[in-house]
Amino acid sequence: MNNKIKKILCIALVAVMLLGTFTGCGNKDESKNGIIVSAGTSLFDDSLDPIKGSMSYGYPFVCEALMMANPDSEYVGCLAESWDMVDATTYRFKLHQGIKFSNGTDFNADDVVFTYETVKNNQALNSNVDLSSLESVTKLNDYEVEFKLTKPYSPFFDVTAMLQIVPSDSYDSTLFDTMPVGTGAYKVVQYDTNQQIILEANENYHGTAPDIKRVTLVYMDQSAAFAAAKSGDLDIVMVSVSYADEKIEGMKYVEFDTMDVRNLSLVTQPVRTIKHPVTGKDITVGNDVTCDVNVRKAIAIGIDRQTIINNALNGVGRATENYTENLTWTSKTGYEDNRKEEAKRILEAAGWIDTDGDGIREKDGLRCAIDVIAASGDDDRYRLLSALGEEAKELGIEITAKTGTWGEIEQLQYTNGVIWGWGQFSPTVIQSLYSSDRFLVGTYDNVGGYDNPEVDAYINAAITAETQEEATKNWIAAQDVANAEYPYIYIVNIRHGFFISDRIDISMDTQIPHPHGHGAPIINNMADWTYVK
Amino acid sequence: MSTHTHTHTDKKRFEFNRKTFVTMMVIFAVVYLVGVGIWGLFMDPESYAVNYDAKFVSPNFDHPFGTDFMGRDMFSRCIKALSNSLIIGVLASLFSSFIALFMGVASAVFGGWVDKFVNWCVDLCQGLPHLVLLILISFMLGKGVNGVTLAVIFTHWPSLTRIVRAEVMQVRSSQYVQAAYKMGKTKWQVAATHILPHVIPSYVIGLILLFPHAIMHEASVTFLGFGLPKEMPAIGVILSESMDYLATGKWWLAVFPGLMLLVAVVLFDVIGDNLKKLWNPQSGNE
Repeated sequence: MNNKIKKILCIALVAVMLLGTFTGCGNKDESKNGIIVSAGTSLFDDSLDPIKGSMSYGYPFVCEALMMANPDSEYVGCLAESWDMVDATTYRFKLHQGIKFSNGTDFNADDVVFTYETVKNNQALNSNVDLSSLESVTKLNDYEVEFKLTKPYSPFFDVTAMLQIVPSDSYDSTLFDTMPVGTGAYKVVQYDTNQQIILEANENYHGTAPDIKRVTLVYMDQSAAFAAAKSGDLDIVMVSVSYADEKIEGMKYVEFDTMDVRNLSLVTQPVRTIKHPVTGKDITVGNDVTCDVNVRKAIAIGIDRQTIINNALNGVGRATENYTENLTWTSKTGYEDNRKEEAKRILEAAGWIDTDGDGIREKDGLRCAIDVIAASGDDDRYRLLSALGEEAKELGIEITAKTGTWGEIEQLQYTNGVIWGWGQFSPTVIQSLYSSDRFLVGTYDNVGGYDNPEVDAYINAAITAETQEEATKNWIAAQDVANAEYPYIYIVNIRHGFFISDRIDISMDTQIPHPHGHGAPIINNMADWTYVK
Repeated sequence: MSTHTHTHTDKKRFEFNRKTFVTMMVIFAVVYLVGVGIWGLFMDPESYAVNYDAKFVSPNFDHPFGTDFMGRDMFSRCIKALSNSLIIGVLASLFSSFIALFMGVASAVFGGWVDKFVNWCVDLCQGLPHLVLLILISFMLGKGVNGVTLAVIFTHWPSLTRIVRAEVMQVRSSQYVQAAYKMGKTKWQVAATHILPHVIPSYVIGLILLFPHAIMHEASVTFLGFGLPKEMPAIGVILSESMDYLATGKWWLAVFPGLMLLVAVVLFDVIGDNLKKLWNPQSGNE
């Protein structure tokens, strides 16, 4: 009898425990808890306020801009229904009607005027969206605005995709750092600094209501995120391509096309001391090895990019001799690399000869050796740099791989090589990279001190172009002329790698090529994500 | 009878008592550490050169410690790294101990405000968390070999200073020291001829026990990214690199270098403790 009671009790106990387990599982699958995403830490680095430059890479998130990029890298309307370039300095945008912000207020021309005027008046707060060429923004009627520029400025079209609109009547500079209000598919419901951002679907959203109602973006470093994904705690996790061969049960490894390139900047000026144009202090710039265009050219044509990608990046990424191929305004003029014999001939003709037999060339007692710095904390860049060094060694050029914080790179970038990552929709990056008047002025701009009046002229022509076609033509011409002198050596157009849970479909068809952003750009089409039924 | 005498003398000649054991331990530890130091110093960089064809090879006969993400042989790299760490650690502790010796002797011999000042410095240094002070100094000096060496030098003298000071205080009151003063010797003369020789044994043991601290701290500061640069083989660098691959099961990248560091540190302790036993057999009665 006693035994029987014990048995029943045991069974009851087990049943209760099992029930608990099942409800546990149920909770996880229930869409109430949503999904957990680790998309790098850059989302947490800066304010979420569009007025301060948040999400300026051209895709909607909590807030939306007038325009946005589509999967073919073309601009399409987002809050704007139609647009018109009246003349070279006048742009008109017709806005969609019936759109509401997540707090319930209506979106109209006042919000656009407010957003642009606030940024223009507080330009110091926003280093991502440059409105210095904007003269005025006027409301023509409730759903039409007109922008007047001080001078023709073709990248203005990009600006309208970069600056997301905030509500004029409830904007709060402090609150919006963490809890911005916008017209996007999601709204922030909880923000824990450097821990997590919890998003919920915006019930006032003007598009199709997202299938995934709740998304938690977590702050984790890569190896922690990978371990968490392995134990089944994450639904989406950004990983370095060095994880590409790993397996996680219930997840698949997916790679995304990007416009994110890795390039090496080489200083084009000889060593000298000059006055810093901004601070007025004396500063030493230049590098006596890389100021020789023959050295730069030998590296550019002599290295085998594919080998570097195989060795450093697990074979993931596309070898490139230019800025990415995923954009309309980039030069597509490539050249064959891995021409080692030709590179050696160029070096020898220029007087770089290995006289002491250590495998590294010299010229007038100067070793053909440079230091190149990769940002610490980005191991893919360090691996890339190390692999580049091995390739350069075969040419008789010594590249010493170093790492440094961005603060240190700012000190060293005018005398040493640096590995950079660039990738954005706006062609103004070409101006930053090559324009001679950016040298020493913009923090990471034209660090090699490249100075070519012909390139400057093309850049100016592109910026002041009256049509996008003309602008594109000049941007490409500027790159073609500059690339022939190799101030930057483009190596790879990388791909972003993610592990994605089998229960989620992240709508690959509507993903845009990812801009630079350490994984964050995967959220560009979050509204289209669905649970796999 | 004769057989008995024979065995007796034999026994005496090869007696394996604690003293021989302790001496052998010390000799073994010294040989190992000096050996690793010299091996690394004269190692051909080619032995840990990049070889992309052999990435992430798990430990085998050719690569006892496996290879890393660039196909570098981890055994050679570890030896080179440990050698670097040993050399930096030993150099830093030597200089640190000079500071301690000077400060300790000066403090005890001169007394007064000198003593107060030295004690104040010791308290100041020991009042701050050790690692924080190390990072601070290393960062200020621009990291790298110089930064981390100077940081270790400037943070490891306080405890040894205290020991030296206490020893000197003991000797100072003895009669022959007093007699030397009465015969007109200056404080520096007394310190050099009468006090210093008595302090040397404790100083040397203190110095040897300082080595593992210095090496550990150098490795920790480097691990945290404030020490030796990434391109230089160092245990801290290897361990911090290994962190990225632990999650994917590349255990050998962390286990062997970690073990090597541990063994080196333990061996220094063995030397220090056993030398104490040899030089000061009465210390057990204290």
